[in-house]
This record gives sequence, structure tokens and C-alpha cells, in this order.
Amino acid sequence: MAKHIILGAAVAVAIALGGAPAAMAQRKGGDVVVGISQAPPSLDAQITSAQASRNITLHIFETLYARDENAKPVPELAEGVTVSADGKTYVFPIRKDVTFHNGKKLDAGDVVASLERYRKIGASPALVAAIDAVKASGEHEVTVTLKQPQSTFLDNLSSPRAPIAIYPASEAAKEAGKIEIVGTGPYKFVEYKPDSHVKLTRYDGYAPNPKGTGRDGFAGRKEAFLDTVTFRFMPEGGARTAALEAGQIQFNETVDGPTAKRLGTDNRFTIHKVMPFGLQVIKFNQAQAPANDVNFRLAVQAALDMEEIMAISYADIYQLDPSWLYPGSAFYGTAGSDKYNKADLKLAKELLGKSSYKGGKVTFIVDNLRANVDTATVVQQRLKEIGVDVDIAVSDWPTVSKIGFTPTGWTFWTHGFGIEPFEGPGSVMAPWVNGLSQQAKDPEIDRIAAAFNAELDEARRKALYVAFQKHMYDAAVAMKAGNYGVFQASTAKLKNFKPYRIPRMWGVWLEP
Amino acid sequence: MGSFLIRRLAGAFVVLALVSLMSFALIWLVPGDPAAAFLDASATPQQIATLRSALGLDLSLPQQMLGWYGRILSGDLGQSILLNRSVSAALIERLPVTLSLAALALAFAVLFGVAAGIIAAVNHNRWPDQAVMTTALLGLSVPDFWLGLVMVLVFAVSLGWLPSGGFTPFMESPGVWLRGMILPALTLGLVQVGFIARMARASMLDTLGQDYVRTADAKGLAKLDVVLRHALPNAMIPILTVIGIVSGALLGGAVIVEQVFSIPGIGRLIVGAIASRDFPVLQGGLLFLAVVYLAINLVVDILYAVVDPRVRLS
Repeated sequence: MAKHIILGAAVAVAIALGGAPAAMAQRKGGDVVVGISQAPPSLDAQITSAQASRNITLHIFETLYARDENAKPVPELAEGVTVSADGKTYVFPIRKDVTFHNGKKLDAGDVVASLERYRKIGASPALVAAIDAVKASGEHEVTVTLKQPQSTFLDNLSSPRAPIAIYPASEAAKEAGKIEIVGTGPYKFVEYKPDSHVKLTRYDGYAPNPKGTGRDGFAGRKEAFLDTVTFRFMPEGGARTAALEAGQIQFNETVDGPTAKRLGTDNRFTIHKVMPFGLQVIKFNQAQAPANDVNFRLAVQAALDMEEIMAISYADIYQLDPSWLYPGSAFYGTAGSDKYNKADLKLAKELLGKSSYKGGKVTFIVDNLRANVDTATVVQQRLKEIGVDVDIAVSDWPTVSKIGFTPTGWTFWTHGFGIEPFEGPGSVMAPWVNGLSQQAKDPEIDRIAAAFNAELDEARRKALYVAFQKHMYDAAVAMKAGNYGVFQASTAKLKNFKPYRIPRMWGVWLEP
Repeated sequence: MGSFLIRRLAGAFVVLALVSLMSFALIWLVPGDPAAAFLDASATPQQIATLRSALGLDLSLPQQMLGWYGRILSGDLGQSILLNRSVSAALIERLPVTLSLAALALAFAVLFGVAAGIIAAVNHNRWPDQAVMTTALLGLSVPDFWLGLVMVLVFAVSLGWLPSGGFTPFMESPGVWLRGMILPALTLGLVQVGFIARMARASMLDTLGQDYVRTADAKGLAKLDVVLRHALPNAMIPILTVIGIVSGALLGGAVIVEQVFSIPGIGRLIVGAIASRDFPVLQGGLLFLAVVYLAINLVVDILYAVVDPRVRLS
């Protein structure tokens, strides 16, 4: 018996020690330099939807609600919410333990001022368009009244696209881009050297959300171990990789497939896969022939081999998936998948025969991102087999987007949708409402989107989203080729990193 | 000298007027919309229209042109769309970075280029001459972005001697600044070494064949003395012209080198402005570079007279 007790105790000690290294390894200190490909246009989080800004600002600022690991909205600076029966009044109790980087305690006035500022100059006005009034209903309580019920209101409030960051009221009174960079997040701003870097330092006065048990998406418990985090702007991919190998940066936000393979075999580095990071979309311009003809669009949809497109455009890091949302989303589903990835040339020719297309060149506009050019090239070759003559016009993003926002000069346009599927069904529908992306109104989409936004019942919302996705395929409004990912690389000394939509530098530490 | 300067400054003014016109023409020559570039693919037409109006892009071309000339005549290069600061401030911030990079590269190119040219000329048609000329041709043929990446792989990644990129201001730490600038300056300068070496060789060969050099030689002066004190000063005029051209090329080359080494100079500013259609920065940057080119040319012309008293600037 005694033997068993001793053995049991030994096992318990062994288990405790076995688990200990991870816990003990967490240590404060260290400076991490993150190589990012683009400079942020602004660190005023509310006024820009640039990913380069989000990468940095979400380390500094927090929002009332934020997205958890599965992109579900959860309280961050709010303690929770009470929604009135009619769905129009939201009462947010605000956490009392939070202090801004300038030493000021967070209160309802800061939240009201921040929301009002976003309503005036926020980069994604649609996020707050439903708000009728915002007022402080207590020192630590804010009441938001909506013009009409909006099922996606908490989704919007927690969107990381152009975050509805909470600033001190004194800063929220300032114009776009004129604020002091003062937030409540785990890191505070030190300096921004244009075309060079942004440096942050750990905020020791940070109050983690008491409801958070660990790192959880953009929410949860954001423990900062590093002394400083510097985001260095390095547009050259080769230079970023060289800097990582030379030990001058500790994290590279994106590397290409061959580099990931090479670094992956070196135990000094760790490769991280962010999967999915975006979905590859091929749009039709429905304002003009031949894409104004549903049979033409269905013919193209039937002809395309999505595996071929994704394997060439995003070799080593793609997945075929008919859903317009990411796996893990509460609304994820495969409606319409019977028309996805058919690669059926016979059916395509039949449908094309029923269409008004009788030959002639159609233009595929594409920006100079390699994966997008590859997508256009594969589509061009595939459509040649059914007799559609595609001309590819490559320009840089400003040129292509200018053309793509107009109803003439193009038939096809491809690029990625990254943040929309992460944000959820409302954001996935939005680009097609009012014919924004396809240049011709689609009454069915407009009807579904309006109903979805007003519907508060979860089951009926899901049914509406299924109808939307099915319609995308039945009318070939646009085509989704597949999901793509991103390779990231770090020094193996950077521990406990977990890929997400931004390279989160909380919850990670550096080993000596 | 005075009349020369007045004539040259008047010429420079005409050139600047033409450059400013061309800079303005960029707005309608370059495709793409700054507003669309600033917003993402899901921007609504209203958002784009609002931003275009804020940027003054909805005004007629004559109105925009009048605004542009009005501003530059009053010394105002406008406000950047993206940088949240005036174009002048953005340029002045980056000027020391690019100038210090170009100056280091120029010093390197002149030192090695002139030395290599002299060695080649003195050893005309012998192996040092052929070696210098082959190396010079190789240097001229190498693209600077490729050379930069090779430098990084060798000196930063493999040997670990120097940083692979980034910039530390001189005033913050002269030592760190120098370490960070060696590779970019070498990359930028190396391509120009060959150019200067070839010109220095040709000019020295020409000078070494002159009677006064033969006389100095016949007088029994030391070979080094003949070459450096007698021949070199007279060979310097064509070399100075090349140095002037090279200085301009260095500023142009800085665009690529600053990208590769992540150096926040004017080149990088202009590349960013092109990519984002930040027209005020692009226009102001081009005008600014034109002023720098003109200043370099003027300095080179003045140096002619300093080096060779026979040259009269009047």
C-alpha cells in the first residue's frame, strides 16, 4: 500500500514537473521586432481599415466588445450587455478597473465620446449606421439606442475591420489623425517613425478582462510578457526573410511557400499557418454583356476547376470550400455546393450556348499580386476551352480598383476577401447589396440582406443566410474559388505564439 | 561669376516650371484613384465620393492646376493624403537620410572608381587594366536590387557582420548609423564605381599622353608624383562631369536600395506615394528632386573652375 502511495506521489510530482516547464518558461522581458510588409496609413484606429494599421492598433486599443477565437462577439471593455425586448436598446455596464495609458480611469464619458467620434468620422460608417443615440446612463454605464433592431449590432461593435476603439474623451474630441495614441490595451505607444517602424512598450497598468481565462481571439486575457514590440515596415519579402535569418527581426508576418518550406527544416525557426486567411473571389460585372446574362455566368461557374485555380495561385496553403464563411463560424454551411467546383466543360458549353455570348473578347482586370494574376491566367485558359476569349489586363491596385468600381471596362475581377468572412454573414452579404460589387442591383440579395439585418431570431437568420449563399450559386452572382492561407515565420525562441488574423504579441514570450 | 550664376538660376527656373507642369500632369496621366486606393474593395461609392471631395479631386483640372501653382509659388507643397503631415515636412524628414546614403555611396564610388581608373590607365593594356575594365563592366551590369540582396545574404545572414536593414539616425548613435549604412551605400555605390573607373581611365590616358606629362616624366619626377600632381588635376574635369551625373543616378538608385534595406528616405517615400496615389507627395517629391539635380549640376560647374583655373565661368 505504502508502495502505491509513494508511486502515486511520484507520478503526481512527475506530472506536476512535466507541466511546469511551460508555466515556468513564461518570463517578462525581451524585445521583439515584427517585420510587416506595409506601413500603417494611420494609428488612429477608428479612421482606417488597413490591415497594416490593425496589426498594430489592436495591441494598443480595445473595444467595448471584441471577437473571440471563433470570431464570436464577447465583452471586452464592457462587462456585458442588456438588450431590450424590442431589440432597440443596448445597455452596456463598463468595467471599472480599466486605466488608459495616460493614467486616466475609463468611464462612460470616454465610451460615449468614442462612439460619437466613430459615427462622425469612422472608416466603416455602416458599422454604426443603425445607432440613433448614445448616452452615459451612469458613471460606468452606456446606453445605445438603435433606429431599428439590427441583428448584427454586436458583430459590428466588435469588428476589427476599422475598430471602434475606445479613446479617452479628450482624444475623441480631436480630428481624424490628430489624436495622441492612448488606449487601454496591453501595449502602449512609444514612437512612429514614418517608413521605418512603430515601437510599443508593455503597459504594466493593463487590466486584463477578469472574465478572460486566456488568449481568446482579439478578446480574453491579454498578458504581455515582452518589454517592447517593434513593427518594422519591410516591403521586400526577401529582405524580411534575411532579417529573420540574421536575427534582426523575430517574426515575419508573411513568407512565400518555398521560403516557408526552407525555414521549416531549420530548427532555429518556426513556421505558422494562418488558415484560412481569405477567400479568393472572382467577380462578374453584371452591368454589361455578356456577364449580365445569367446563362453566361452559370457557364463560367460550371467550367471552372477551383482545385486547379487554388493549387496554382496558393500552392501549399489552400483548401477547397464552397462556403462564403470560414469553418468555425456559427453560420458556416455548404448551401449551393452542388454548383461549386464542377469543372464540367460539357455543361458549361450547353449553358454558354443558351447565353447571348457569341464570341468576342472579355476583359479580366487584375492587380499585380501574383496569386491574383495566377487566378486570372488559369481562368483564361479554362474558359478558352469552352470558347470564351479572355483578355487579362494587369495594373496596380489603385488602377484596378478604380475600374472595378465602375460599370464599364471589365467583365471579370478577382481578389481576396479576408476580413468579411471573419466578420460574419452580414459582412459577407454587404458587398453585394445595392449591386455594389457586381455593378447591377440584385433584388433577391437586397431582400435577403435587409431581412437578415432586421431578424433577431437565430434560426430564421440562419435560414436567411442559407438562402443568400444558395442564391450566390444559383444565379452565379460571383464565384468563390477556395480558401487561402498565409505562412508566417518566427524565431523558435518566440514561444506560445498562436496564429490569428493579426500577429498577436500578447501571451507570447522570448526564450533567451 | 555673378552673371554666370544669374544665367544658370534663370535656366533652372525654366526647368523647374516645366518639371512642375509635368508633376501636375501626373494627376491625369497616371491611372488610378487615390480615394479608391485608400479605401478597401468594399467601399461604397458615397465613401469614395466623400474622400475625393475632401482631397479636391472633384474640382476641374484648371481649378486643380491653379491651386497647385498657387501653392508652390507660396512655398507650400500641399498636404499628404496618407501621412497626416505636409509634403514639405515629409520631405525634410527624409532628406538627411537619402543625402547621407547618397553621400556615402558617392564617396565610395569616387574613391574606388578614380583609383581603379588611374591604376588601369597607368597599366594600360596590361593585366591590371583588363582586370579593372572587366570588373567595371560587371559592376555596371549588375542590378542594384539583386546586389543588395546578395550583400544582405553574405554580410548579414551568413557572416553576421552587419545589419540587414533598418535605419538609426546619426545623432542617435553614429556607430549604429554607420554600421547600418555600409551595406546600402556599398550596394548603391558599387554600380557607379565601374562608370567612374571607365571615365577616369579614359581621361587619364588622354592626359598621360600630353607633352607636359612626358616632360615631368623626363625630368625624373617620381611616377606617383607625375600621376597624382601633374596628370590627375587635368584629368578631373571629365571625371567631375561624371560625378555630377552619378550623383543624380545615386538619388535615383536610392529608390530601390531604400526599399531593399528598409531605409526611410525620399526614394521610399516616393515609391509609397506612387503605390497609394498620394499625388501631393509624388508631385512635391519630384519637384524637390529636380531642385536637388539642378543644385548638383550648378555645384559641378563651379567646381570646374576650382579644379581648372583655365575655365572661366563668365
